[in-house]
Amino acid sequence: MARFNLYQEEQHPSPLQYTWLEFQKNHIAMGGLVCLMLFILITIFCPLLAPFEPNLQKTGNILVPPSWDPNGGISHIFGTDGLGRDILSRVLYGCRMTFGISILLVVFALLIGVGLGATAGMSKGFRSSFVNHTLDSIQAIPTILIAIIIIAILGTGLVNSMWAIALALIPQFVHQTRDFVRRELSKEYVMAARLDGASKIQLFVRSILPNMGETLVMQATLALSIAILDISALGFLNLGAQTPSSELGALLSQGIEVVYIAPWNIALPGGALFLMVVSVNIVGDGLRSALRNRLLH
Amino acid sequence: MILLDVKNLTLEMEIAGSWIKALDKVNLVVNQGQIHALVGESGSGKSLIVKAIVGALPSHWRITADRMTWRGKNLLTMSLKNRRKLIRNDISVVFQNPINSLDPLLTLGDQLKEMIPNTKLTKRWFWAKNMQRQEIAISLLHKVGIKNHELCLKSYPHQIASNVIQKFMIAMAVASEPELIIADNPTKGMEVTTKTQILNLLNRINQVREMSILFVSHDLLAISSMASYMTVLYCGQTVESGDLRQLRKRAFHPYTKALLDSAPSFRKDLPAKSALTSLEGTIPTLHHLPTGCRLGPRCPRARRECVVMPVSRRVHNHYYSCHFPIHRDSK
Amino acid sequence: MVNILLRYTNLIIITLFILSLLSFSLAYLFPGNPIEVLTGLKLEELQKLQNQSANIAYKPEGSVLSQYGHYMSELFSGNWGVSFNSGQPLYEEIMLSLPASIELSAYALTLSLLVGLPLGFLAALRHHRATDYTLLSISVVGYSIPVFWLALILILVFSLQFGWLPLSGRLSLIFEVPSNTGFVLLDILLADIEDKPSVFLDAFRHLILPTLSIAIVTTTLILRITRRSVIETLNSEFIQAAYARGLTTRQVLMRHGIRNALVPILPLLAMQFPTLLTNAMIVETIFSWPGIGNWLIQAIYQQDYSAIRAGMLAVSVFVVIFTMSIDMFLRLTDPKRKKIERGTI
Repeated sequence: MARFNLYQEEQHPSPLQYTWLEFQKNHIAMGGLVCLMLFILITIFCPLLAPFEPNLQKTGNILVPPSWDPNGGISHIFGTDGLGRDILSRVLYGCRMTFGISILLVVFALLIGVGLGATAGMSKGFRSSFVNHTLDSIQAIPTILIAIIIIAILGTGLVNSMWAIALALIPQFVHQTRDFVRRELSKEYVMAARLDGASKIQLFVRSILPNMGETLVMQATLALSIAILDISALGFLNLGAQTPSSELGALLSQGIEVVYIAPWNIALPGGALFLMVVSVNIVGDGLRSALRNRLLH
Repeated sequence: MILLDVKNLTLEMEIAGSWIKALDKVNLVVNQGQIHALVGESGSGKSLIVKAIVGALPSHWRITADRMTWRGKNLLTMSLKNRRKLIRNDISVVFQNPINSLDPLLTLGDQLKEMIPNTKLTKRWFWAKNMQRQEIAISLLHKVGIKNHELCLKSYPHQIASNVIQKFMIAMAVASEPELIIADNPTKGMEVTTKTQILNLLNRINQVREMSILFVSHDLLAISSMASYMTVLYCGQTVESGDLRQLRKRAFHPYTKALLDSAPSFRKDLPAKSALTSLEGTIPTLHHLPTGCRLGPRCPRARRECVVMPVSRRVHNHYYSCHFPIHRDSK
Repeated sequence: MVNILLRYTNLIIITLFILSLLSFSLAYLFPGNPIEVLTGLKLEELQKLQNQSANIAYKPEGSVLSQYGHYMSELFSGNWGVSFNSGQPLYEEIMLSLPASIELSAYALTLSLLVGLPLGFLAALRHHRATDYTLLSISVVGYSIPVFWLALILILVFSLQFGWLPLSGRLSLIFEVPSNTGFVLLDILLADIEDKPSVFLDAFRHLILPTLSIAIVTTTLILRITRRSVIETLNSEFIQAAYARGLTTRQVLMRHGIRNALVPILPLLAMQFPTLLTNAMIVETIFSWPGIGNWLIQAIYQQDYSAIRAGMLAVSVFVVIFTMSIDMFLRLTDPKRKKIERGTI
């Protein structure tokens, strides 16, 4: 960094700071981050923000158009659906549900995946190759097929679809962790730690894990966008969240029934979903290029 | 006759938002038939100079020079196409990482044949040309001392031992029969025996084929065994250049002196168990380059004037850029 | 070479074995009687059948192992059981719907490759310039669109608003084409029917929207993968070295650039295949395309467990064989013979 400093001391930003500095320079990525923050805020403070209860039905206000439409009213900014429910509230609650569940799923998959990946990476021979091949086959099977099987066994429902998606997300983390651990294990600093008598667990937790943080965050953003898309897709197909729920995919599938007369029932939840995925992807992209730039110098 | 003439070459690159002069007014003159050594510590910009000459730098870096000519033709104003053509015919480069600078997906034979210019082929027909290419490739390999040519031509770069591949790189460089071979640190990380082989090979090419060699290295022993002329680089600045023997006898620039002193084999009068002399401090990082003479903060002879960049001065055929050169205090 | 072939054959066989075990165990995991799930017949019907002919021998009383053996032998002889709902043999139903899905995915993939690869190269060659940024932004938008939403919007705009393209299905009901290969365009070309061009055009018009909705997402993915790989290749040392040797830009790209950029792309593309299939299955349900995705989801709605078992086995076997063959092919053709690294997009 060429910036003013009085003393002839060299200031090197830590790797984490450097990534952040690189990230900040990317204005689009910052925009995405702000957007993502907004969704996180919505997820946390949804009950305070939403004007109505998501399932409150007003029989007098069926299919009110959004407020920018000549027939729309100010009390329902995004209009109402076929049962007179306020779409803004439903979309807000839907964002909360979809986004919150996706984050939960990613965290869950990350923990399991890193654990498994570390075991596979640190061990050799049969155990490692078994984990490897099993995961390869799971990864090769389309998510929706896994979901169909799990739902056929356990029955439809949000929780059951969550299992399916978690199962589909785990292999990526395992692969990432395993490859990373393999790479690092052959490096000298790990060898030095090993010669100092560090046990396998110490080796992983103290030497390897700290270097893996950013890659994991990056992978997590990727997984987050996949999780959001999958959750909503299953909701849309009526395999995940069921009808009264305000999950965004389920909202969309409810909107289909009235799509001819009230297209905003599809456009608005879908738009929210799209915005959510775009912001996650932009942040992920920004993070990736920031990391790449850092490694370049 | 002057082949390559570079005057005040400056290269600016963008690092973390600011433009930094990685090369600062570099001068370099290579004559025909000469082995010219370019010496500098790692990170002093030797490879950058090489890349600037052959035009393999990223296009968003800024390159300026008062003069950069090849046999009187200006390289900087030349169109990209003409420049590539000229380089293909007249200049060859031996890179420092042979394996990385070869296409991993093509066999060595294909890559060597690619470098044989069409003008060398006398046969008319396509298949005859291919046959001739193969013959030329084999003879090239023999000339650089690779006996098992069949295996070598069929292999992929990662399958070949590092000393063989460096010889192969030299064969590739010789293939187009250039007038100048730029050897960018060709003996990096090699054992002594292979190093000698490579050096002998380069020497022989220089003598037999009368190709000039720009030998880029930090290995003073290797340089003194073959080069006749030397340019010393420090932090992207040329500090001194001149006839090798003259430099060894009377170095004007403090850095050259320190550099030569740091190699014990250059000092016959070194008493037993005495400390080797070295400059204090370390090479500045690119973010904190000193103004003026970049040796300033480390130089034992530095004075206030040293914050101004010294102009290059000449005594006979010996150039130096220093305000207060050694041996010339009386002036 | 032989080593790799053996390794992969071994791997495929083991994976298929695991899959068959899985599908067999589904019979016990699904609600209902295992035999019912395996055959698709109710118990009473089974008993009736068993009395009628001697060669239908289901052995509910045998050990699990012998049941599995029997199940496998039935699978290989093409008797996959019947559907709970329609009572049709599952093998035939799947052989009708799986090609429809493959057809749709294949068209979408071809379209994506035709558009995505050149655009990816273009973006990489114009790295850090306006073209690159534009393409990159479009691609971020493209691969963030939920595929079902995109399909709905396409329907809204092109079918309902303008009425240009048909809403759903594979062919207008007025036409009838006998199924030979299972691929509708091929079938039309092969079939002996009147007014072939108009039938073909009709099928083509039905294909446009589903293909587009899948292809848009896939194209952006391919664009990103290609762009990254090309940029990395162009920055690598040997490309710089090739320039330094005086080769022209064209020579460098044609001889060294494209090949080296494509090598890391292909395995990544193969990895996108499951995503492509997932998208295809979702799109099928929206457009009522008679493919395997639509069929499976209908089966879920109707709790047709024997159909789910057989369908799952068919799709996963297809996917596993397909992806592993690609993997093997890549390993065999890669001169470096290195294990394929899983890169980033």
